[in-house]
Amino acid sequence: MLLYLLRRLVLAVAIVVLAVTLLFVMIHAVPGDPASIMLGPRATPEQRALLHETMGLDRPLPVQIVTFFADVVRGDMGTDVFTQRPVSRIVFGEMPYTIVLILTSITWAALVGIPLGCYSAIRRNSLIDKFIGVFSVGTIAIPSFVMAVYALLIFAVMLGWLPAIGAGEGFWDRVRHLILPAFAVGVGWVGYISRIVRASMLEVMGESHVRMARAFGLPERRIILRYALRLAILPTVTVLGVGMAHLLSAAVFAEVVFARPGLGALIVNAVGTRNYPVVMGTVLVTTALFVISTTLSDLINAALDPRVRESL
Amino acid sequence: MPATDMTRSEGQPMREPSAWVQHWRQLCRNPLGLLGLILVVLMVGSALLANVIVPYDPAQVMVGPRLGPPTWHNLMGTDQLGRDTFSRVIMGGQVALIVALASLSAALSLGLLLGLVAGFGPRWLDNGLLLLLDSVRAFPVIIFALAVVTLLGPSLYTVVFVVAITSIPVYARVVRTQTQALRDHEYVLAERAMGASTRRILGVHIMPNVIGPLLILASMDVPLVIALEAGLSFLGMGVRPPTPSWGTILNNGYNYIQNSPWPVIAGGIPIILTTLGFTFLGEALRDIFDPKLRRDL
Amino acid sequence: MKSRKGYSLNRREFLQTSAMTTAGIMAAGMPLSQAIWAAEGSGGGVLRVRSYADINKLDPGFYQNAYNVDVMNCIYSKLIHYKPGSEWETELQAAEWIEQVDPTHIRFKLREGIMFTGGYGEMTAEDVKFSFERVIEHNSPVKDDWGPLDHVEVEDDYTGVIVLKSPFEPLWNVTLPYGVGHIVSKKAVLEATEDGGDFGMEPPSFSGPYVLDEWRPNQVVILKRNPEWTGPKPGFDEIRILPIGDPRTAETAYRSGDLDFTHISLSTLDEFKSDPPQDTVIEERPSLYYVYVGMNTENPKLQDINVRRAVQWAINVPQLLDVGYFGQAEVATGMVAPGLVGHREQALIPPEGDLEKAREYLREAGAEGISLRIDVLNESKFTAMAEMLQAQLGQIGITLEIDVQDPGSFWSIGMESEGDRWQEMELILQRFSMVPDPYYATTFFTCEQVGNWNWERFCNERFDELNAEAVTVQDEEERAEMYREMQDLLEESGAYRFLTHEGSPFVYRESVMTPATRPDGRPLFRFFDPV
Repeated sequence: MLLYLLRRLVLAVAIVVLAVTLLFVMIHAVPGDPASIMLGPRATPEQRALLHETMGLDRPLPVQIVTFFADVVRGDMGTDVFTQRPVSRIVFGEMPYTIVLILTSITWAALVGIPLGCYSAIRRNSLIDKFIGVFSVGTIAIPSFVMAVYALLIFAVMLGWLPAIGAGEGFWDRVRHLILPAFAVGVGWVGYISRIVRASMLEVMGESHVRMARAFGLPERRIILRYALRLAILPTVTVLGVGMAHLLSAAVFAEVVFARPGLGALIVNAVGTRNYPVVMGTVLVTTALFVISTTLSDLINAALDPRVRESL
Repeated sequence: MPATDMTRSEGQPMREPSAWVQHWRQLCRNPLGLLGLILVVLMVGSALLANVIVPYDPAQVMVGPRLGPPTWHNLMGTDQLGRDTFSRVIMGGQVALIVALASLSAALSLGLLLGLVAGFGPRWLDNGLLLLLDSVRAFPVIIFALAVVTLLGPSLYTVVFVVAITSIPVYARVVRTQTQALRDHEYVLAERAMGASTRRILGVHIMPNVIGPLLILASMDVPLVIALEAGLSFLGMGVRPPTPSWGTILNNGYNYIQNSPWPVIAGGIPIILTTLGFTFLGEALRDIFDPKLRRDL
Repeated sequence: MKSRKGYSLNRREFLQTSAMTTAGIMAAGMPLSQAIWAAEGSGGGVLRVRSYADINKLDPGFYQNAYNVDVMNCIYSKLIHYKPGSEWETELQAAEWIEQVDPTHIRFKLREGIMFTGGYGEMTAEDVKFSFERVIEHNSPVKDDWGPLDHVEVEDDYTGVIVLKSPFEPLWNVTLPYGVGHIVSKKAVLEATEDGGDFGMEPPSFSGPYVLDEWRPNQVVILKRNPEWTGPKPGFDEIRILPIGDPRTAETAYRSGDLDFTHISLSTLDEFKSDPPQDTVIEERPSLYYVYVGMNTENPKLQDINVRRAVQWAINVPQLLDVGYFGQAEVATGMVAPGLVGHREQALIPPEGDLEKAREYLREAGAEGISLRIDVLNESKFTAMAEMLQAQLGQIGITLEIDVQDPGSFWSIGMESEGDRWQEMELILQRFSMVPDPYYATTFFTCEQVGNWNWERFCNERFDELNAEAVTVQDEEERAEMYREMQDLLEESGAYRFLTHEGSPFVYRESVMTPATRPDGRPLFRFFDPV
């Protein structure tokens, strides 16, 4: 088990390094230049060249990549081209907003989605199952940014119940500001989770050990919770791990629509202005976040499924 | 329950000449599945026949007032350039179909292949593939899209490429997880003990079991694909104008939401209907084709 | 807006109008400490406004973009400032008086008692000298704003003379009342930066009615009253500037009450007018931006001037503006907006163009059925106009392909230092910001700028001559005539079709404030008054 953990850790670091390197190469192949945006139309070519030099953009790509990682190991993620602030301060300043948004969204989606899916599977083909089915499909179908826009128009503008933009100050105000974005980001996942739980529940309930349990006359409730749901949740956990990346994209839209601070808004802006240090820093952190969440989901998978656990 | 009928069909229905007829009957007994089929047929049909159906050239400007409401001439109103939204929605179906088919089939086949190899192959291969897949997947989709679109320029092909590449790891990973779980099942172990080749085990035992959930995922991914395309348009990186796509229609609608609600509705409804269609149909097909369900019940 | 009077015409007149218009508010000549203002007592409250981007530079000597200057206006002082209102005028701020001794010498006297925060003492002529000269010394990207500045002579604590190498008219319209005109504390900046260079986002000391209290990046900029401020008491106790890029989001935020002042987009102006939120005032101001379709004169497809003319004449400007701005933007006659020196009464080509003429030019060039490509920024107004342009050019048989670009790649298309895309550029839909002096627009179209910011690669000797000379001419009419000729030259080259200056409507809640803006609608937050 310890060996497994260690291996996962090495793997995780390898993924982050590979992904960031890939991105580094890709983003430098993309046309565009931070200097022209930063210095504005008044800058002379010499001034731009000078800025390139201070940013290290004139050095060969491999050197830039190695320097980047060497600096990161020393805890330095570079400086923002525009404001000259350390990238680490910017990224870690924005990160909590995105994490809170994603976790809130996924938590409420799972809390609603799992019971729905479970119930659907048990009462398969009943009217309620069909209703839940239509409902989940409907929620998946609507892109999160459309959901965000409508939520904003209805609840913030028309009804005025909730604040429209920003992240708020103080605990309750923050919670109020979180409701609409979390709703928009999470609502599609309710459907998604309930579909997956339903599908795998049906599968698991047909499996031999569940039928065995049933043959032994164990109470249905116990069979479902103890045997079926535990296994049926596996694909959900995997999907949730994978979902972090999707959620980050959804968060991008939510952050843009609700003018919320966060990694998504930060990265879109940084890519648009070719603010390379901030792009790299943000991607480094988001890939790390992502890798952590998939590793966790694998570990949970292992803990829940004896079959996977044995193969470790 | 329709499922009880399935028990009567034989072990390997695919070889029977009447299998398709049976499946058709099964489908007819599933109203939601049938509804799904109808929606999918409608969508695919209108996309294929789009050139015949559309009353106006979808790129023709000023065929009506700007952002006009629905009338008899313009069934779904007009957009900000006075183009006929109905024509654009119908033509947009073509775009959606191309994007979804091209990218999902590419992603599915590659994902299936990679997942099977990773799940069943030797450990080192599994690890290597997993590393690569996880690295690709670890990019936030939008960032990947941003880089690719700026590199290749915004166009339909770029969208297909982005969607395909970013979906592969998801499928591959699901397939891998399923394969690994199945690999240690008694019947696979038994088959292996009897000296069956890897290809046979993969093809006969693992593939059919893996493909069910995968198809469900894919059918549920159709809307995600369309949403991704819409999202790319939302950030100004979608198909090249004036190509009509539901995403662009929706996005333009959002841009002018204060002026008129119609474009958003016109762009959103086909997305929702298509999603419903594909999902219901996918579910129904799963009920019919999933070998494990049938064997057990 | 037609009147150009009072704006940089005659220096003496300028001073008089300034003195007159300021008399009531600024109590010219009186030491500031004695003038505890009538505004005292009223006021207070929080002003919540939107800016289209988050601040990223607070050093005025190295300023970038108007949204940074909006904040600088509040936290620093300068010799003269733009007067709020609908005419381009300036009035005295930190200067007790300022006069043009001769074309290259400008003498000023500071008001007494303007204090720098943080114990850096009173503002002196030495600080003015330091603030202005460091722009040139440290090779600021905006050093052109100071043009031919030679040095500043300090006469005593409060008096000094700005010495220019050659006459520089934009000094009065841009340099002094805008970004680089702000005065920072020499002592404080030297302590913070050692060499007096760019201090970026960390102002070591403030000299305005407000101080930067807190900056939460991408969330809010909070300005609070400067307790050490001795000048006229500003209206609001606190100003919260929320950076919101997307105008739709801003409009929503306004409607839901999160903001009390914001600019809105032209396409929603009608909706706001027909369904205004409660106690909302909508004001429409003309803006200075200039939007045009440019053509790369060196691209093989466009080398023939007749092809370019064909495109020029095929463009129906009102039709483009109709889809881009919902008919809320006026047709431009050139780069210089109405109300500024050098505005042309009309363009050479009529706004609607002429398809027959366009076809004729195309025939002459033998380029029928040609296909062209246009690069546009990924904003809905630009893509909408590009799509309309596609339809218009289609009418004369030109196939137009639209390339939508994100800002990062768009803003480097024509730069030779950024690859070879400048060669492939054909048509471009361009929008530049502008300051209230015509020199700012024309400087980008000289031969020297080819491949830098002159992406159309337009190069004309006469144009360059005029451009160099016009900044030195003091007679306003003569100067205006030169800028008109320059715009004619641009248009005659076939490489430009001017579209619009856009517009800048804004909304505010009259129950909360009386806003104060420049003629082009840019807010001057320090003059906002609470109700």
